Amino acid sequence: MRQTRRLVALLILSAGIAAAVLLFAMPAGAQEATDPAPPVYNPYPPGILPANVNSELARVLREIAVIENEAIGQWHALPPPMLTGQPPTLQGSGYSAVRILGKLMNFDRNMSPLKNIACASCHMPYAGFSGPIPSVNLTMVAYPGSFRFRAGKRTAQRYTYSPDFPVLNYNTEQGAFFGGNFWDARSTGYLLQSADAEQAQHPPVDTQEMAMPDTACIAFRLSTAVYKPLFEEIWGVDSLNISFPSNTEQICDTPGGAATFGGNTTPVGLSPVDRERANTVYDHWGQSISFYEASPDVSAFSSKFDAFLANKYTFTAAEMAGYKLFRGKANCNSCHLDGRSTAPTPPPPEGSAPGGEDTGAAASTAPLFTCFGYANLGLPKNPRDAFYYQTTPDSLGFTANAGGFTYTDLGLGTFLRSGFGSAPNPNSAWKPFAETSDGRMQTSTARDVALTPPQCPTTEAPGPYFQKEFFHNGYIKSLKQLVHFYNTRDVYRMPVESGDCPSGTVERVTCWPAAEVPQNQDMTIGKLDLTEAEENQLVAFLETLSDGFTRPYPDINTYTGACMSGGTAATQGNSTLISASKMAPH
Amino acid sequence: MKNQILIWTIVACIGTLLISNPARAQLIPPAKKAAHVEISQGPEIESAKANEVIIRWTSNNPGGSDEHFGVVHYGKSATDLSQTAKSHIRLNQGHVETVFRVRVEGLEAHKTYYYKVDSQQADGTSDGVTSPVNKFATP
Repeated sequence: MRQTRRLVALLILSAGIAAAVLLFAMPAGAQEATDPAPPVYNPYPPGILPANVNSELARVLREIAVIENEAIGQWHALPPPMLTGQPPTLQGSGYSAVRILGKLMNFDRNMSPLKNIACASCHMPYAGFSGPIPSVNLTMVAYPGSFRFRAGKRTAQRYTYSPDFPVLNYNTEQGAFFGGNFWDARSTGYLLQSADAEQAQHPPVDTQEMAMPDTACIAFRLSTAVYKPLFEEIWGVDSLNISFPSNTEQICDTPGGAATFGGNTTPVGLSPVDRERANTVYDHWGQSISFYEASPDVSAFSSKFDAFLANKYTFTAAEMAGYKLFRGKANCNSCHLDGRSTAPTPPPPEGSAPGGEDTGAAASTAPLFTCFGYANLGLPKNPRDAFYYQTTPDSLGFTANAGGFTYTDLGLGTFLRSGFGSAPNPNSAWKPFAETSDGRMQTSTARDVALTPPQCPTTEAPGPYFQKEFFHNGYIKSLKQLVHFYNTRDVYRMPVESGDCPSGTVERVTCWPAAEVPQNQDMTIGKLDLTEAEENQLVAFLETLSDGFTRPYPDINTYTGACMSGGTAATQGNSTLISASKMAPH
Repeated sequence: MKNQILIWTIVACIGTLLISNPARAQLIPPAKKAAHVEISQGPEIESAKANEVIIRWTSNNPGGSDEHFGVVHYGKSATDLSQTAKSHIRLNQGHVETVFRVRVEGLEAHKTYYYKVDSQQADGTSDGVTSPVNKFATP
């Protein structure tokens, strides 16, 4: 009898522990408990999708749940709101409240029709808020969307410092476009006066990304979010007071682009007043996420370089050599401005600075390592890009890219023409610049290009390393290759496609396939005459631009995947090269 | 490990409350234009293929718009340089010298071409470079 009681007590205790563990592990209501089984679209030849894509997507979802729960805790830790003053302001807690709301939104998987991806699915902190799956970075380039396995066409850009890009404008003095968000500038920010806030409005309704069929679906899902009270606290008690029709759930559960919508982008039947309210909610969605991205949670200014500027860190010999090259011989800071070149010594005969050396005084305490501009670097087409293979309709009747491999990514030029795969250009005065903008892509900040999870402390083989992908089409797989491309593009350029480099050459080392867009190539780069050692010094310098040195980078420790190891940085990823001419449908 | 995550999280949360981001960089205006733009090295053929050459030269930094163009006027006779090739570069305002590189495409193999060079502001205004007329032969 006593034994039975002991057994029962033990069972109760075990059940209690199990329940506690489950409770601890489960998201606090914001996340779905189970994954719905989405219909699968797989038009890909063998080898395009990575073998572990499903387990990796599940892994990222688990990590997202951890961060979402953390954000819920941060929300609950906020002091009681004190709305006061004229205009009314959340005194004391306003900044924290909006930052945390943006974080909650960013890591909310319910903001996709199948409740299976969040914004963060393509933007995790440990990758500098870029792509979190090494095998995807190595192979298919773009990330699978809510409707698996639709995918976009480009790499996920880092969030870091994206709020600093101004509203897209054409500067007549400089004769160039500046600002905007996305590789092709399609988020101009003209309405919200923030390119970054508008950026956050694109992926939720991108058919190959989060795939909501209607922007009002975001308001609908927010109206049932656990953090709805925080949204209302910030944006108004009636802000989510919208009368949604009874079929809204069904509509918002259906991925955008489905034939059933007949091209209608507002299938949720709302009254004019409620539509306006939903639009306002969508603006606040973008603004809240942008505030999070601008905060030190994301754009931290906490790198070795920042410590160096503050005289709190001494560069190693390699880092310092790399910094000098960055500003001098390699000329990186002609576009990736390091804040030291706005007061140059005049050219001879007025000035007397030594040849090739940057003598500009420090002009910014927080240089952003971008000029906010656009350039065509002449990258080869990447036949690994999943976009080329989505030529047939999925089960919902949606076809992402009927043209297959004939698609050419003209970047900014396509956007200025309001062309296929971009977004409407809201300023017709820019259209004449389309031809000279073909092939141009945004000059990313060099900050956090090297940021990786702590357990895989580098992007470079032999590692242990975290496989990233670089530039708009992910053709480059390591920083060594990135620097080598700038250095030797025009030395080893060959009239072949990727995968078809002639024998006796090594792709990405002694063979650069033809440019996808040959016109408008930037000739600032292409033959820099850097030695092997100098290339490595530049990589060492780029690694000083990773946030998290002067203080911990928030949520960087959330990576639970594996590191890669072996090989060399020069040939990293070469085992997964495929021949464009053999694999791709024409 | 969990403890470490907890500590980092707390530190990060407190940190974000205390830290505000520093003043950030802005668009930079164009640099002052140089009074004279003179070639100090070249022009020379950097590489030559049957249908394409890259011509390279170095001048003092012309200043003006950061968006800049290297320009090659060329033709099959020294007195007829009626064809033009332009390539985009970006000036580095901190550099005293600027390297221009221009890709000249659509050439015929086994031919001799004559050329001279110039550079242009973003709006197409010439920098007024004085260039000799040189020649090259395609392989």
